Amino acid sequence: MTDKFHAELKNLKAETLEMAHLGRFMLRTAVDALIRQDNELASSVVARKEEIHEMEVRIEEHCYHLIALYQPMAKDMRTIACTLKVITASLRIGRYGKVIAKIVEKISDQPHIANLMTIPHMADLVIEMIDDSIEAYEKDSVAGISDFSLRDDTIDSLRQSIFREGITYMMEDPKSITRCTNYILVARYLERCADHACKIAENVYYMNTGERIEIH
Amino acid sequence: MSESAIITTNNVNLWYNGKRALESVSIKIPRNKVTALIGPSGCGKSTLLRCFNRLNDLIDHVKITGEITLDDKNIQESGTDVVVLRKKVGMVFQKPNPFPKSIYENVAYGPRVHGVKDKAELDTIVEHSLRHAAIWEEVKDRLDDSALGLSGGQQQRLCIARTLAVEPEVILMDEPCSALDPIATAKIENLIDLLKKDYTVIIVTHNMQQAARVSDYTGFMYLGKLIECGKTVQIFEHPQEELTENYITGRFG
Repeated sequence: MTDKFHAELKNLKAETLEMAHLGRFMLRTAVDALIRQDNELASSVVARKEEIHEMEVRIEEHCYHLIALYQPMAKDMRTIACTLKVITASLRIGRYGKVIAKIVEKISDQPHIANLMTIPHMADLVIEMIDDSIEAYEKDSVAGISDFSLRDDTIDSLRQSIFREGITYMMEDPKSITRCTNYILVARYLERCADHACKIAENVYYMNTGERIEIH
Repeated sequence: MSESAIITTNNVNLWYNGKRALESVSIKIPRNKVTALIGPSGCGKSTLLRCFNRLNDLIDHVKITGEITLDDKNIQESGTDVVVLRKKVGMVFQKPNPFPKSIYENVAYGPRVHGVKDKAELDTIVEHSLRHAAIWEEVKDRLDDSALGLSGGQQQRLCIARTLAVEPEVILMDEPCSALDPIATAKIENLIDLLKKDYTVIIVTHNMQQAARVSDYTGFMYLGKLIECGKTVQIFEHPQEELTENYITGRFG
């Protein structure tokens, strides 16, 4: 029975990785659509919202089945606990991708202000954090997440700088208000995605060591 | 373990016919707590349990070294009265083993051996013990019936009542539920939880979920050694030793 359980646990991780990659893909694609002002690409992100939601429900049920049938302990238990958090974070990341894609549809008819400020750079850093947190989960390793606190600080600083810059452009030209407000929202969503990457990292750390850490 | 210990072993070794069954076992059993001993078959958990009331004395060619104290008194000393020791440290076995006597006589047997003759006093002890063992309501109207007519779960609770009748400090339980169905098992587990208010319970079990459910502390044994002992939550959530981790996650054993 334990061989069967460990095979099931392996499947669970594979399903979770698939979902985490979908969430990451939705965010990356939405930001690409924003940069390229590509409505079609943005629509392709919005179209996947049901898929990621269904994945979350399916994986969550799988976790509950494993708990009910096998009463896992120690690292097995922590892996399932971590998985439940990873799917929640991945769903949120995917949803922020969808929300950014909706913004693309609203503002794609007008040129970018200041080349989207530092949004593309901020998005790259956030996506790297998501990649590293997913890889840590996949490889049972905490090496790639040790500097997450510093990286999260950088993301917070970038969001504040986009906010200040946006306000400046809005004061200079009221016609930029819609675009700049949406840029500020996008920066806020990206910052939230970095927070979810930190949540994944905290849970992967717990999964591997049994110890709790808090990444601010 | 920060709690006060009722039983302490210090570097205990045991050999059966020259074959080592326990190796340098040092453990503290906290008072009024449930301590579970887990480990694969043959790891020495029942042997360790039987050290606590010197039941191993009944086996030929057993050699024990090290110190085992109960309430700070070394029970290994030659002057120890094992009858008194076994009154203080009662035992419940894997298979219910009531005497082929009435329910009443099963419980009254121990106090009688220890000199209680007064009928009213015996009645009180019998009722008190059966109530404590959560079986009084089921048997109060048929105390003179044979104990062998009870179900397996009831027989096991009767055996617990029989143990309680001589007012022990410690109750040893060697796989007390392995011959019982899930409902009878649940009743024994509930009972263990109630008993720890007044007694110290040490339980040997193969069922890790049972150890996790009923115990406050858990010791993991392997090949005669105590590998790890700590709070049950810590052992099952985050064991310190890789061997423990591998055993409780079913990777061996």
